[in-house]
Amino acid sequence: MEKIYRVETYKCISCGKCELACGFAHSKDGKAGTSRIKIKKIGIEKGMPVVCFQCVEALCVKSCPVGALVRNEETGAVDLLEEKCIRCKMCVVSCPFGNIQWDENFEAVAKCDLCKGDPQCVPFCPTKALSYY
Amino acid sequence: MVEIIVDGKKIKAREGNYLLRELKKNGFKIPALCDHLAVEPWGGCRLCLVKITKEDWKGWSKIVASCLYPVEDGLIVLTKDKEVEEARKEVLNLMVARSPQTPKVLELAKEYGIEKTSYEEYKEPTDCILCGLCTRICDQLGMSAISLVGRGIGREVAPPFNLEPPDCIGCLSCAYICPTNFIKFEENEKKRKIWGKEFEKLLCKNCGCGIVTKAEAEYFSKKQGIDPTVFELCDKCKREIYSKKFEELQK
Repeated sequence: MEKIYRVETYKCISCGKCELACGFAHSKDGKAGTSRIKIKKIGIEKGMPVVCFQCVEALCVKSCPVGALVRNEETGAVDLLEEKCIRCKMCVVSCPFGNIQWDENFEAVAKCDLCKGDPQCVPFCPTKALSYY
Repeated sequence: MVEIIVDGKKIKAREGNYLLRELKKNGFKIPALCDHLAVEPWGGCRLCLVKITKEDWKGWSKIVASCLYPVEDGLIVLTKDKEVEEARKEVLNLMVARSPQTPKVLELAKEYGIEKTSYEEYKEPTDCILCGLCTRICDQLGMSAISLVGRGIGREVAPPFNLEPPDCIGCLSCAYICPTNFIKFEENEKKRKIWGKEFEKLLCKNCGCGIVTKAEAEYFSKKQGIDPTVFELCDKCKREIYSKKFEELQK
């Protein structure tokens, strides 16, 4: 069965380790990528992590004119096939939650892919606000 | 699935699929500049040449562009044959004559041992290698705003009559798909300019930044059946709003 990527927002202390881990996990040629998970600070040592929900009826998948966003049957995530992407940015604007971003450095779309079944942000979260089981 | 032999290695491939894509899937490195998964193959750059033969062809073989050759049962493919290398070298030689200042072309040429072309260099070097990726993606998206015009040495990619293309929606797909970065565009927070046509961007209601053009949003929302109201805010503002909503839910 598919695993579940779980975010327990009340545990987040907005330390930013998941953002760093994500950036490095999606790095290329020694340059860090844009973090797919974003924390909004809501007080001292309190944060609200926002990350892709991997929607079942995903608007990003619907919006893609070339079908570069596909469901990965193994992980359940919506994967971006970078080789197929034409960078029209329609997914960036159609995500109702703003969880797809435009990576200025790589001129590419940044989308959480659950690191192909091994989310790198999870082991770095000190309070276990993020878990994958 | 059928079995084919590539460089002495047996691999499984789906019959009828194009050879280049099956080879790439199996990790074979084959140079190609005009291949992109979003569009149908076209055989424009002629760099993906491979030699094919079959056991019952009695020693006969031929060189084909692998991007357009469908997989057949029992195909024997040679990707690093001497004749293949020479054929690719000649193609690159001609490409360097046309685009002597294009990094991507020079990089590939260097791999095949070409520093300088043996032909006469173009008097007006261009980065465009006429691979047709830009026009093909434009066709596929349903616009056909640009196309290949002219013949022979005068062939180029251009909008109709070299005027502002009326059908262009400014999605920049042609510029991003271009393997040699030939198609140039200008962009700032509010406007975008490509092919001499200026586009107004769809601005975020909250912060005023623009990600896509108005024409693009309108076209794709209709084509893909998406409610255009989702385009009103940018991704940052949407995240802000939703994190606030979650915060309220948490209380």
